[in-house]
Amino acid sequence: MVELGNLSQYAALGFALGAIILLVGGIIRNDFRYIMGGRRALAFTPLFTTMAALSLTYLFATDAFQVEYVMSYSDRALPFFYKLTAFWAGQDGSLLFWVWTLSLFAAVVAFNTRNELEQRPTPYIYLVMAGCMVFFLFLLTRVTNPFELLPFTSRDGRGLNPMLQNPGMIFHPPTLFLGYVGFTVPFAYALGAMMGGNPDESWLKKIRVWSVLSWVFLTIGIILGGQWAYVELGWGGYWAWDPVENASFIPWLVATAFIHTSIIQERRNIMRVWNMVLIVLTFVLCLFGTYLVRSGILQSVHDFGATGLGGYFLVFMAGAALLGFGLIVFSYQRLRSEHSIESYLSRESTFLFNNVILLALAFATLFGTMFPLLSEAVTGNKVTVSQPFFNRVNTPLFLLLLLITGLCPLIGWRKASASNLRKNFLLPAAVTTAGGLGLFIAGIREVYPFLAVSLSIFIASTIFQEFWTGTRARVRLTGEGALIAFPKLVWKMRSRYGGFVAHLGVVLMVIGITGSYAYKQENQATLKQGQTIAVGDYTLRYDRAGTYSDRNREVQAAEFSIFRDGQYLDKMRTERRFYTNAEQPTTEVSLRSTLLEDLYVTMPAVGENQEVTLKVAVNPLVIWVWIGGFVMVFGGIMSIIPRFTRREIIPHV
Amino acid sequence: MMSKKVKVPLAITAILMAMGYLMYTGISDTGVYYRTVSEVLDQASIFDGQSLRISGEVVGGTIQYDQENLLLSFAVRDTENDRVTMRASYKGVMPDAFKEDVEVILEGSYSQYDNLFNATILLAKCPSKYVAEAENEKQVSQ
Repeated sequence: MVELGNLSQYAALGFALGAIILLVGGIIRNDFRYIMGGRRALAFTPLFTTMAALSLTYLFATDAFQVEYVMSYSDRALPFFYKLTAFWAGQDGSLLFWVWTLSLFAAVVAFNTRNELEQRPTPYIYLVMAGCMVFFLFLLTRVTNPFELLPFTSRDGRGLNPMLQNPGMIFHPPTLFLGYVGFTVPFAYALGAMMGGNPDESWLKKIRVWSVLSWVFLTIGIILGGQWAYVELGWGGYWAWDPVENASFIPWLVATAFIHTSIIQERRNIMRVWNMVLIVLTFVLCLFGTYLVRSGILQSVHDFGATGLGGYFLVFMAGAALLGFGLIVFSYQRLRSEHSIESYLSRESTFLFNNVILLALAFATLFGTMFPLLSEAVTGNKVTVSQPFFNRVNTPLFLLLLLITGLCPLIGWRKASASNLRKNFLLPAAVTTAGGLGLFIAGIREVYPFLAVSLSIFIASTIFQEFWTGTRARVRLTGEGALIAFPKLVWKMRSRYGGFVAHLGVVLMVIGITGSYAYKQENQATLKQGQTIAVGDYTLRYDRAGTYSDRNREVQAAEFSIFRDGQYLDKMRTERRFYTNAEQPTTEVSLRSTLLEDLYVTMPAVGENQEVTLKVAVNPLVIWVWIGGFVMVFGGIMSIIPRFTRREIIPHV
Repeated sequence: MMSKKVKVPLAITAILMAMGYLMYTGISDTGVYYRTVSEVLDQASIFDGQSLRISGEVVGGTIQYDQENLLLSFAVRDTENDRVTMRASYKGVMPDAFKEDVEVILEGSYSQYDNLFNATILLAKCPSKYVAEAENEKQVSQ
């Protein structure tokens, strides 16, 4: 299996290189047959990468501890399921996963362009895809080969880091990778268009679908990461502006900007240069994120260990940036659009501001993340910034973004008229004022939380107004009942309504984030049996403790009774686990989650006389962060479900 | 009435300037110097009382933890030079990864008078043991 894996990786590399040679030859000699050959070579790569991936999976499944990678991330006692997911627990396997998805995407691109082989950008698109694949396959075969053998067969493996033995951790890395890899496709299309010239209109639609899809994966990845941090790391939050988190968030912001302005390009054929910049930037930032994580240049809580991979990524990233931005400069005259935004009071300009803010957020986050290095380079003094910096700079920007999100659907395309504005604003303004008043009376008077929730109400009311007017128009037109007209309308215009659904997701998330950050209550203490600790409306009584051993761990467990406002509510238990092959204990998080608030309990220490140290917190509305995140994702998916070409059958009357 | 040629860039400039201002004040108010133990001790009088972030390693045999009052005290040494140490104290729970010889990052302030670092934030880095041990084993077997 080791040989098969190795051989497959080399075969994939061979095919990708072959594709490049054939494509370049085809382009130079203007020979269609070469291009077809290159396309075929590209389309064959998934065969070999899949074989390599299956080999590695097999090696994990069969405890092949003569393989260094398997030995490093698995052991006999590991539950079978985690043995399979240990595939991407380390760098080598992650890269194999990366290449595998890249090759699949390349094959899909080859298939999608089957009717566009004669078009000039097509071979260039293949070329970029193949080029990226060569880079990763080079790393896999020459630098971090997962099939590397140990000089001996180890009796057992070193085991999977206990913190990675968690369901959230199984899907967090692969979805994040799918997002990163996905943005290769828009990048390839963009470069193809600039090198080959004259893309038709359908080109942008394809880029958009790929971008939204990648954005969906990236979003899922980021949310799962936050959720994993919340339920596994035990510090009580889900986002800490840590360099590793920022590394995925920065490309996400830029991708979000592109998803918005591509709508403008589709409708008005403006912002063409800008969109190219965003596509290239997103891809470059994905690589930069990987570089940041893998190079160890920044201090992060997530320690992947510095590996030799950083330099390669830096070079590849610089190459991609140079090529991408160089081509944009070179084809600037051709890309430039004749039109521009007509009025500052137009829907187009809200998209423009949306972009300004998203990029400002990306820049501020990048700047803060890199500040230790920047300050050291400029002044010789290393200065770090952390959560307070990011919260201070980014919170007002996010609030402004929310305002724009609410305003956007109220303002007409091109140039909004005064009467049109007055009509659209009436209802949302009234609802928001009432909502704001309600919040004020309810005692929410801190500026940021007040603004965040008020603006959320504003956005939600504009979206419902959209739903309402749309449904009413359809009812009038078709005579259907409102309950039938509404879903039909949403389905028919899903690319537009998907966006609104995503915005509703944002609203839910904002409410969750506001609640959990601004109104969190915490307490910590060391308790003897029978003693209590209070947090918010809750009181916890420490009842008893004990130890037991499980398959691959020793466990200290403690049991508590929870009381709310003096009333007995429930029992709760919490654990500290000592995995046999881990050097340190793991504090498990115990959660009692409701739609209103989470009771969050960890037990960082158990003393000799069974006295336990407890950290307890009440995190209001946290669950809405996850729910909102998935509504966002749902909206994104909804907006790219393809239109079926089959015409709707018109019923005979 | 201003034209859109002026208004839009004006608004964008305003946003960017506000951001620049927030970033500037953000850094000057919340930024902390990042130093090693020996750098702090070399210029102890300069760093005295300043907020700092330092990295170092926990010295073996110095960890004292009062579980009831959640008071942790230990000595931290320079990563490069074993003999350069300072004492550190921290109020709060001891992180899982915290133990002898592990690398820690502390944020707080240094007091020259008693060579004590008063930490408000304590991060213990999980040793990236997988990579390191594999390297060792390779060397042994060769």
